[in-house]
Amino acid sequence: MEEDLGHFFEKFPNRKREDLIPLLQAIQDEEGYLSEKIISAVGRYLDISTNKIYGVATFYDNFRFTASGKYHFRVCHGSACHVTGTGMLVRELEKQLKVKDGETDKEGLFSLELVSCIGACGLAPVIAVNDQYYTNVTLDSLKNLIESFREIENSAI
Amino acid sequence: MDFQIEVNSNQLDVREGESLLTALTRNGIKVPTLCHMNRFSPTGACRLCVVEVEGRKDLVTSCSSKVEKGMKVRTNSQRVLRARKSLVELLLSNHPDDCLYCVRNGHCELQSLAEDMNIKERKYYGEQKTLYPDYSSPSVARDPAKCVLCSRCVRMCEEVQLVTALDFISRGNKTTVNSAFNKGLNVSTCIHCGQCIQVCPTAALIDISHLEKVQTALGNKDKMVVFHLSPSVGASVAAELKMKSRHLAMERIAYALKRCGASRIFNLGFASDVNVLEEARILKERLETTSGDFPVISSCCPAWVRYTEDHHPEMLNRLSQVKSPQQIMGAMVKTIYAEQHELDNENIFSVSVMPCVGNKYESSREENTHKGISEVDAVLTVRELFQLLRSFGLDLAQMNEEKMDEPYNEASSVAWKHGYSGGKAEAVAEQLFYMMGHGKKERFKFNPPKNMTGRREIKLTVGGKQLGFAWVSSIAEAENYLKHLKQEGRDDIHYVEVMACLDGCVGGGGQPISRGFEMARTRKKMCLEMEKSAEKKYARENLKAGKLFRDEKLSPGNELAEEWLKPVFVDRTSE
Repeated sequence: MEEDLGHFFEKFPNRKREDLIPLLQAIQDEEGYLSEKIISAVGRYLDISTNKIYGVATFYDNFRFTASGKYHFRVCHGSACHVTGTGMLVRELEKQLKVKDGETDKEGLFSLELVSCIGACGLAPVIAVNDQYYTNVTLDSLKNLIESFREIENSAI
Repeated sequence: MDFQIEVNSNQLDVREGESLLTALTRNGIKVPTLCHMNRFSPTGACRLCVVEVEGRKDLVTSCSSKVEKGMKVRTNSQRVLRARKSLVELLLSNHPDDCLYCVRNGHCELQSLAEDMNIKERKYYGEQKTLYPDYSSPSVARDPAKCVLCSRCVRMCEEVQLVTALDFISRGNKTTVNSAFNKGLNVSTCIHCGQCIQVCPTAALIDISHLEKVQTALGNKDKMVVFHLSPSVGASVAAELKMKSRHLAMERIAYALKRCGASRIFNLGFASDVNVLEEARILKERLETTSGDFPVISSCCPAWVRYTEDHHPEMLNRLSQVKSPQQIMGAMVKTIYAEQHELDNENIFSVSVMPCVGNKYESSREENTHKGISEVDAVLTVRELFQLLRSFGLDLAQMNEEKMDEPYNEASSVAWKHGYSGGKAEAVAEQLFYMMGHGKKERFKFNPPKNMTGRREIKLTVGGKQLGFAWVSSIAEAENYLKHLKQEGRDDIHYVEVMACLDGCVGGGGQPISRGFEMARTRKKMCLEMEKSAEKKYARENLKAGKLFRDEKLSPGNELAEEWLKPVFVDRTSE
């Protein structure tokens, strides 16, 4: 593990405690998430207890601990989206994709994440799948969206 | 005293720079707090210690505010009392109310706060989260549902024991105190010291109870239940009961345990004598044969051994190759004692009574079980001992005394020295001093500094050579001290005694729960008194203990000893 992370560590030669968050961010940018092995290796490199790192990383919403799915749903949880029906959308997603906030399904296809305000309150409710944004989402348009992803996957086989 | 402040219309003497809480407590004004710990920096997390300070708009947490000249404080105004009550009501809003079945029933800080504040009903209904208890560890159990997030265990684990096996995970109302990846303490960096149990205000951290196992064994006619009683437990009981005839504490526990159906009661201090004799012998051997590979580090504390295995595999060869008193005792009973009395060791159920929860872990270590026979089958903490006796309707305050059983009934004053930080170093130094031929002509002098914190060292001239002995308590002290020795390139220290709990076993994780560190001092005082009144002063005067290592079957090198008495230290850095 240490060898794989070598090029990240090179950027932080001082091995200081304050390097922790930038280092974790750099790793997550490339790897997509922080695995247990990554956290342990970072701990050994910076001489910080694994649990301390896990505690720090879970404090921030931005860090993930499981690989995200091929279709990564980010649902805006800001006030405007909340009052226009995020709750309903989340329930629908949980039901259809069989995942909860922060989880990825067994096939590695879908994952769900509730995020803080995306900054498009006028177009609420807003969700994002990977880097594509969808605005004024309704229950029907959400169902169609999921269906379209499923169709792409089925036709690929 | 530097100046005065006004508290509830009275003048109080205070010292410059101290916290308001310290000043109030010293002057006998009780301010409730859940998160404050002496010796630790304040966090202001629980906010129960709020007081009203004239001129300040908001209530002030007294733990994190310093005293100031001209301060006017009210500790029990209506506003303060109302705020505190609401705080406790909010803590209770999602706290399980299964007090009847709770280990800490009757001595829970949250329970007494609720009582003190006259809370008679659930005022707020918080969201009841489903949180699962963690019984994976052999020593410490966690019940996050009962956690009030005061951070006392987190600070203890991080600042004193340096392992951070427990930390805050997630944030906001999702916060829990948990081990890494929410995976369970058995696969965490926990060293099983049990200090988290000592500081937990509720039952969020408790020990893995062996009580039921012991009760079942006591009721089983085929089992012969043998108790090994640690002298520290005697000191602890004497301190709890404020016994006048404290030197009889052990005999009194022995009498009570016999009434519970125990077959034999042995003095674990016997094994402490063996342990010290053996450790001194090893040190002498090391001094005569090798040079440079110093200091020898004591290995009688299971938490320290585990820490070394996890973090310092390079130091494993410095740990002294002697098993801890608990395991020596267990091994002796299941081997030579069983053989001499023609007993089948499968039918012996060994219970050691210890001031420690690390011993529970230790007894479950692989090398301490041989072909399915454990050296020690169950470990009771002092808390569990009291519980066991209560369940049999026995009150230690009104018991007779009874001698412990032959042949392991005797122990020298060294047995008590094992109980507090520095004691064992003294005993080993004395034995070495004697073995090098000094004992007859010179008097052994060992005058340790009186303070209970910080690093302590002593230099002695033994056999024409200056030898250094040192002792530390808590992993933080041990780590710092050993790092210091390495960095300074010091080779003048030959023996280091390490105890993982603050002040040694008197502050152990298995002791009765008490807020603060005063009880540890009282227990140490008991140890010192008992050690003075002990008939035999030195381990070597315990002839039976000496004999064990001369001609009995357990002498070093012997086949039986190789199997039963050889400690095994494993490099666990890859785990």
